Amino acid sequence: MNTEAKMNTAASMKKTDNPARFNLSKRGVTTPAKVTIRKLPTGVRGLDEILGGGVPEFSFNIIAGTPGCGKTTLAHQIVFANATVKKPALYFTVLGEPALKMLRYQQQYSFFDESKLGSAIRFVNLSDVVMKADLNAVLAEIIKQVTAVNPGIVVVDSFRTVVRKAVAGATEVDMQSFIQRLAQFLTSWEATTFLVGEYFPEEIRDNPVFTVADGLLWLSQLTERNSVVRKLQVFKLRGQASVPGLHTVRINGDGLQAFSRTLGLGSNNLNPLRKRRRLSVGIPELDKMMNGGLLEGDSLLVAGPSGTGKSALATQFIAEGLRRGETAIMALFEERPKQYTARAASLGLQLRTPQEKGKLELLYLRPLDLSVDEITQQILDAVKHLGAKRLVIDSLVGFEMALAPGFREDFRESLYRMIVALTSAGVTILTTVEVEDNFTALQFSNYAISFLTDDIIRLRYVEIDGQLRKVMVVIKMRGGNHSKDIREYVITDKGVVVILPQRMDYEGLITGIPHQTGPRPAQKDEPAPEPKAKK
Amino acid sequence: MNRATPQMRYFAKRLMTYEAGENKFAGTKSPAVFHSCEKLRLHLATFMGHTGFHTLLARALALSTAEVPWLRAVRLKADGSLEGLEELQAQLDPDEFFEGGVVLLAQLLGLLVAFIGENLTLRLVREVWPKVPLNDFDFDNAGKNGDGGQNEYRGKNEYSGKYEKNR
Repeated sequence: MNTEAKMNTAASMKKTDNPARFNLSKRGVTTPAKVTIRKLPTGVRGLDEILGGGVPEFSFNIIAGTPGCGKTTLAHQIVFANATVKKPALYFTVLGEPALKMLRYQQQYSFFDESKLGSAIRFVNLSDVVMKADLNAVLAEIIKQVTAVNPGIVVVDSFRTVVRKAVAGATEVDMQSFIQRLAQFLTSWEATTFLVGEYFPEEIRDNPVFTVADGLLWLSQLTERNSVVRKLQVFKLRGQASVPGLHTVRINGDGLQAFSRTLGLGSNNLNPLRKRRRLSVGIPELDKMMNGGLLEGDSLLVAGPSGTGKSALATQFIAEGLRRGETAIMALFEERPKQYTARAASLGLQLRTPQEKGKLELLYLRPLDLSVDEITQQILDAVKHLGAKRLVIDSLVGFEMALAPGFREDFRESLYRMIVALTSAGVTILTTVEVEDNFTALQFSNYAISFLTDDIIRLRYVEIDGQLRKVMVVIKMRGGNHSKDIREYVITDKGVVVILPQRMDYEGLITGIPHQTGPRPAQKDEPAPEPKAKK
Repeated sequence: MNRATPQMRYFAKRLMTYEAGENKFAGTKSPAVFHSCEKLRLHLATFMGHTGFHTLLARALALSTAEVPWLRAVRLKADGSLEGLEELQAQLDPDEFFEGGVVLLAQLLGLLVAFIGENLTLRLVREVWPKVPLNDFDFDNAGKNGDGGQNEYRGKNEYSGKYEKNR
């Protein structure tokens, strides 16, 4: 900065009592700072992230959608999250849901704080005014109440009813004028406004209220076979970047919860890896096959038919991490945690103690009709909460079955986002997938998700010497070279154990029905090379 | 369904006793039940509209007439206010009239409790009658001594007198 510019800056700074209000431009000349728009929390988990940080203060918003989507609940959550005695909320109810019933139902939610009623949150019924079908009277009543209470938040529920009742005696110009005056008044009075209404998407083009609105949140319900899926879309939000697209919404005892399409990973707060180590999977011979182990931050897919030891291998991977002091998460979709823990114990792998010590968390994600975003959110939460370094998803088939049919289309997309986010943050993921052995080809996965993974291990049955044995092969490792050997393994009371070097005496092992090409190696026929794991 | 449980009667009596005391102090002769319902109407109409309050009070009145037949003569105006109580007061025994009013108010409070629960009802009532001490009010045990809260009520009559003296 040259001397003249410095002097200009200094002079400008003197003129203001608040230097923070001025910014230095590249030329060194001070320019007034941009207005900072405060963002109000919505009180809805996940929604602030979707909105780009919250609801812009003093904005004029519409919460729209068909009946039963959760519009009123959303409005209530916003009100309860923001209303204070100093800056109360005014909730205007109109002909829709009777006020008594609204309170009756809304108090069932955990966010409902009755101590705020009357002082921080005031309900005003506009039905009598609206019944007169006079827009000016409605506006006058709103102005009267707002002027008296000086609220920070104003809700009109349902605004659609106000307009529908009043429009009969009003022209389109009257209506536009009413909306314009209402928006101007509420903004001037520093209120953040939410008009709640039952609208249909085709109305967006012609309805003046959508033009005036700064924000438009659209809630919808999609029916897919027997399940219903709730979605939220931010059609517009002036002044800040929201996450585009349809986001899953669930309503439970806590009210609405929103699950961003980006899973909140836009501003990833997990720590990325600087240097990647090789991690043991807990099976020494398999580590050798993988050129020293699995690369930290990789996603490994273990594919194989039922009974080939996928879960055992996954448990060994976790147990090895625990043994090295790492924390871990196992997302289970088929077996309950108790059964899983007991079966691990039969393989000599203790999962109970690490769970008790907070080193391991077993997530049982079996409930039906979940959205993929909800499941991934639960997994992400657990990973963040525990600081987990290893994650097992057992299995993808169970994962998909837990989803509502309408969400299954999003399965691969959401899985991809989650895996990329977690692995880039240094979490090493082992996913199991059940595939059918057909005896003509080596299938990796039914889901065509192989592209999601860095590494693939394929387990399969083969017929050798009149026995159904198991072999494994490392199909791919993005992080470097790996053994190309097809290795026989057994499941013992120590878990998966790779037993023999590659078979040179057979060909066509991956078909499952190999041909013997060499002399039979010295090997006992009986007992079978696979003692049963201890019960 | 009878919403005028012993607890609700006790609750209503407390409020009406207070109103009777206020009336005495102000020298007005209009019935305590009228004042009680009016205070509730003015407060609740903001929240639920005049129509909403009208329908709620109409239901309370209908429930009350099963026990207090003379309440059939009471009329309900469109804005939810009661009409005809003063004439009835002049014709009836004061205790009988008072008890009839208690039943009506108890039914109204009972309906509120049924819809929005005890806590919110108590909160609303406190807003309407901030000077009536209700912190000790217990919905589970109030009026359970079999006299419809008469003993507690007598106690509160004393309170009413004290209140008047202090003013």
